[in-house]
Amino acid sequence: MSQFLNLLVAGLTSGAIYGIFGACLAVWFRVCNILNLAVGDFAMFGAVGTAWLVQNAGLPFIAGIAVDLAGVGLAAWLFDWVVLRPAFDRGRGARGIVGVFFYTFGLSLVLEGVARAWFGTDAWGAPQIWPGPALSVLDFHVQRAGILVFALAIVSGLALWAYLRFTVSGRAASACGESTLGARIVGIDTAKFRRRIFIATAVLAALFGIVESPLSGYTYASGPVISLIGTVAAGFASFRRPGRAVAIGLAIGVAESLLGGYVSTSYNDVLLYAILFGVIIFRPEVLGLGAEPA
Amino acid sequence: MSSGTDVQAAVTHQVRRRDPVPLGAGISIAVVGAVVLAAMNGSYLGLTVTTGVCYAIVTVGMVLQLGYSRQLAFSQSVFMGLGAYGTGVLETKYGFSSLESFLAVIGLALVASLLIGAVVTRAPGLALALATLLMPLFIFQLATYSNWLGSFAGINGVLPLLTGADYTATLVRSGIVCAVLLGIAAAIVLRVIRSGVGLQLMAMAEDERLGESLGISLRQRRLEVFVLGSVLAAVGGAAIGSVQGLVTPDILSETAEITLLLMVFVSGRRSIVGAILGAVVIEYLTTSTSFISTNIGTIEGIALLVILLVEPDGVAGAVDRLLGRRTDQWGAALRAWRTKALKTRGTGPQGGGDGAGNAT
Repeated sequence: MSQFLNLLVAGLTSGAIYGIFGACLAVWFRVCNILNLAVGDFAMFGAVGTAWLVQNAGLPFIAGIAVDLAGVGLAAWLFDWVVLRPAFDRGRGARGIVGVFFYTFGLSLVLEGVARAWFGTDAWGAPQIWPGPALSVLDFHVQRAGILVFALAIVSGLALWAYLRFTVSGRAASACGESTLGARIVGIDTAKFRRRIFIATAVLAALFGIVESPLSGYTYASGPVISLIGTVAAGFASFRRPGRAVAIGLAIGVAESLLGGYVSTSYNDVLLYAILFGVIIFRPEVLGLGAEPA
Repeated sequence: MSSGTDVQAAVTHQVRRRDPVPLGAGISIAVVGAVVLAAMNGSYLGLTVTTGVCYAIVTVGMVLQLGYSRQLAFSQSVFMGLGAYGTGVLETKYGFSSLESFLAVIGLALVASLLIGAVVTRAPGLALALATLLMPLFIFQLATYSNWLGSFAGINGVLPLLTGADYTATLVRSGIVCAVLLGIAAAIVLRVIRSGVGLQLMAMAEDERLGESLGISLRQRRLEVFVLGSVLAAVGGAAIGSVQGLVTPDILSETAEITLLLMVFVSGRRSIVGAILGAVVIEYLTTSTSFISTNIGTIEGIALLVILLVEPDGVAGAVDRLLGRRTDQWGAALRAWRTKALKTRGTGPQGGGDGAGNAT
């Protein structure tokens, strides 16, 4: 029983990671029909950047977090200004299914390259926000950072879900993704929503990287895999439902952990991805992706 | 009705018989590639370019799959790995010759892509992308943990495509075989693009409903494109394994897929020549100076963003456009010169033209 509980907690922690990145992807896709494949790289910049600022630049931890998050927000704004604005507001550049994937894919490559040049190839972990040993009840152990990760995922998922469902701004944001032209006709500034939500999800991903990095550590190359798993979680949530993406991410994490505990520690990821692959292929309707975005 | 169909079939047959472009292009690519690789005479640059030519076999298939048909499948690295590992396993564990293993791998890739394609191509656009994104993830891990496939170290001792007296001669001969394979791949893809099937694929890429209303079997065409792209990827993978003599899990990782995508998108996703040059140039850059190889990600990312914004059809599209403008200018200058010359002689425009080169 204790093994099961420990596996469950480990799975919920890793699942929270997948879930929150899935939520970040889903909420932005809902607004502008673009997949943010750089979300993992923003998380990497959060973790590695904060660790670098604290350890190498000598900044206090809180100041390091603030500077790092401001830097990530600025990078997101700059990308929107330089790339997304001309591409989607001024009608220049590639659109359609290519635009869905490849703008943020290019950003991901740039962020990864900059991180490699700046921080090197070492693994980095930000200091713990809630320092101390793992909490234990009988044979059941849980890392403090894991509790924070899980709590942040739940709070973020609920907040994003509530924002989209219950606020006028959230409904306007959703309208942008449903029909850009229609939203503009009724006076919604689609560019503003795209920009704001892109920056907000980038900062959220970076914050999540800071909270999570004491558990796993990050290198310059950690981003793409995180983005990929987040894309899978978001995909199972139709790319549009952040709350459901968190739930799917948690389920994926738990399944991965249980497969690792009870089936094979080496092949747990292989099995998990194979199962997800099978679900997508044989039951594509669960994704709710009947039509491609315009 | 039957007679109409017969006439149409006859016309199609005539058009096919009289279309020398794919054959000419294929032979040209093979000859140019073979001459260049022979001139490099087995140097390190020759090895890099030969590897680039092998990648080009994969990217040529991607032109049809991603560029022309807009089939968003990210499984090329998996089939590249299938080709490389298939060759390696058959040669090192079962004693196949390089030709036997090469032919066996083509058959294996054909069957595997038919089976996988039959299910994955049922998924709509984004679902297909998502499903094929997962494939490199779990196949990579499978290869990494499998002792039978050599785990992290991979399989060493893969035979060259054509053996020579020494290393240099072997590399040159293998390079020439790769160039010939690339020529064949390019000719096949060009043939498809220039055929009626190519027109159907273009219609489907523009609007699937339009294609369906024209009576095109979407599933069949999607499957055919998937199979052709996958088999070419496997051929490219087998060639890479044979040239390098070694197969590691890196060949089927998501990083390999990213590299392939960049080779196609930066150079021009609709251009065969662009895809070939893109593969060779990016392979060269990744192994050239330490500054470029260290910062290749940043360089490729910026190049990709600039190209998506400025010229979505890549460098090849930009060159096409420039050449088009230039030839237009030359044409206009020639017409102006002709008009002026005729006026000087006092004849003026007469006969079948208006003096501006337009037929009346």
